[in-house]
Amino acid sequence: MAVNTIEDLATELGADWPFIVSGRQNAKSEIERIRQACEPLVLPDTSLVVFGSLARGEFTDASDIDWTLLVDGITIPQHLTVARQISDALDRLKTKAPGRTGTFGNMASSHSLIHCIGGEDDTNTNTTRRSLILLEASPVGDSDAFNRVRNNLLKRYLEEDLGLWRPSNTCKIPRFLLNDFARYWRTMAVDFADKQHDRFQEGFALRSIKLRLSRKLLYISGLLVCFRCHLDFPEDKERIKFFSRDKSVEVALYVRNLLEKTPLDITAETLSRFANKPKPVSEMFNAYENFLGILSDPLKRKHLEELTQEKYESDPLNTEARRISYRFRDAIQDIFLSSDNPIGKLTIKYGVF
Amino acid sequence: MRLVGYSTGAIALGDFSRALTLLSGYDFQAVELSALRIAEVEPLLRALPSLRLDRYKYISFHAPSSFTEDEEERLVSLLATLPAAWPIILHPDAICRASRWIPLASRLAIENMDRRKNTGRSVSELKEVFELLPQAMMCFDLGHARQVDPSMIGAYLLLKTYGERIVQLHISEVDTLNRHDVISRAAEMAFFQVRQYIPKTAAVILESRVQEKDIGSEAEKVKYLLDGIPPRDIDQFRWTTYHDKTVMNGVPSI
Repeated sequence: MAVNTIEDLATELGADWPFIVSGRQNAKSEIERIRQACEPLVLPDTSLVVFGSLARGEFTDASDIDWTLLVDGITIPQHLTVARQISDALDRLKTKAPGRTGTFGNMASSHSLIHCIGGEDDTNTNTTRRSLILLEASPVGDSDAFNRVRNNLLKRYLEEDLGLWRPSNTCKIPRFLLNDFARYWRTMAVDFADKQHDRFQEGFALRSIKLRLSRKLLYISGLLVCFRCHLDFPEDKERIKFFSRDKSVEVALYVRNLLEKTPLDITAETLSRFANKPKPVSEMFNAYENFLGILSDPLKRKHLEELTQEKYESDPLNTEARRISYRFRDAIQDIFLSSDNPIGKLTIKYGVF
Repeated sequence: MRLVGYSTGAIALGDFSRALTLLSGYDFQAVELSALRIAEVEPLLRALPSLRLDRYKYISFHAPSSFTEDEEERLVSLLATLPAAWPIILHPDAICRASRWIPLASRLAIENMDRRKNTGRSVSELKEVFELLPQAMMCFDLGHARQVDPSMIGAYLLLKTYGERIVQLHISEVDTLNRHDVISRAAEMAFFQVRQYIPKTAAVILESRVQEKDIGSEAEKVKYLLDGIPPRDIDQFRWTTYHDKTVMNGVPSI
């Protein structure tokens, strides 16, 4: 059986991952609840986009709602009014508001997302929004503006990646895209330290486990999407033919279709097809299931959120969370940093230096 | 060789007679007779016997873009009197009751819509229409497809999915106010990216609202854009540099 989703992989491995399954069901019903409340508010040339666990299909009752009103078209003052109305509508649904960084819970323009990739004007917020639009975003209701922005982002990454189109280059890894995913992963890790500094370690333990698992999985899924551009075409000739300049639209669509899957799905599908390592693959998702188990328990989540630095080493729940993260890390290393499988080889060659 | 021509509505809106007179000065082999408003249909049908259309190898008829449910039945019966070989271009959002169009289905060419419409824009939206009228052909509007998704991924998907149905191509700039205009450089670059997927058998109908003096040059531009046929006066075209693949989307090709 071809594995296309995390559920398919569970079947193939004979695994039982109830928190992964319920996370997806919860996300689906929450998105529908938000759609009903917010869809009438959204104007043409805009999309309401959700990010985070909701978009990844890992939603729990305690998850917050990271959202933005994405504007792709003529900017009008009413966009701000709509963003405020969406915020009020979500408050009425008693959803948990987005974090305090200001990255979410407001509006974003496609102009800076598409034109400011790298360079002085690519702010931390812009990098975050752009990366998440590619890696973990879901439009709620009218998706036209979202799709246009995602398509145009991909066309920038791919068409400007000159090496990708050279017939002499048989390895078709989109490096502009891969490097930006890698940069975003490191940005998340550095921002983790920055938040620790700014917030006097408040919420440190919860952020730590999220960084070690869900944020890391996000990077892994981006890395794998880039690798699939190469791995999906086993013959050099076939690959070079597909990655020809006059097919740039087809190539962009190909990558877009890969990115439409959730990080769990794209990782499950790719590892099942190319890693040939069922044991660490199974262990990786077992650890992720355990991680979601902790996040799904409101008491455990609250406990980690309020854990002080003094109790970090001795707290049993935090010790359990850290052990889960070590299992996840070790399984990843077994796959991604071993040259005994195609994914490991590509990671060593393109994902480290 | 593609059959290329204009829509009479682009040359002289609501005045097919003047449009055909203006077009007679050129060697176009295709024409679209446009009756975009319901009131234009009967005068155009009455005039058909007197119109000099024998020079055209391809003729289509653009049905009104809007009509009421009461007008629909009469419209279908009027359109049924057209020569059977002429495709009838129909906007999917104009249809009130699809069942009324079934007798004409094999002659219809459903057009993909622009952004202001809430249907007929994408593969999935058109699928609903083709399920109701499975025998219908398609008129692929390149300008509409670009307006809906400037990345041209949407255009590619439409061409890939419905390529076999496409009997006619509409080409023009479509601006943010949904007006058909002279093809801009940005549109040229976008259209260029999907030109290889456009069926060669599809007649090309320009909808660019051109001034009389530009009728020929706009068509030459389109021929060059789609098939690389050099314009007669190549020096007047500012966009030739990318066509020989030295530059694509501002990026030097390899």
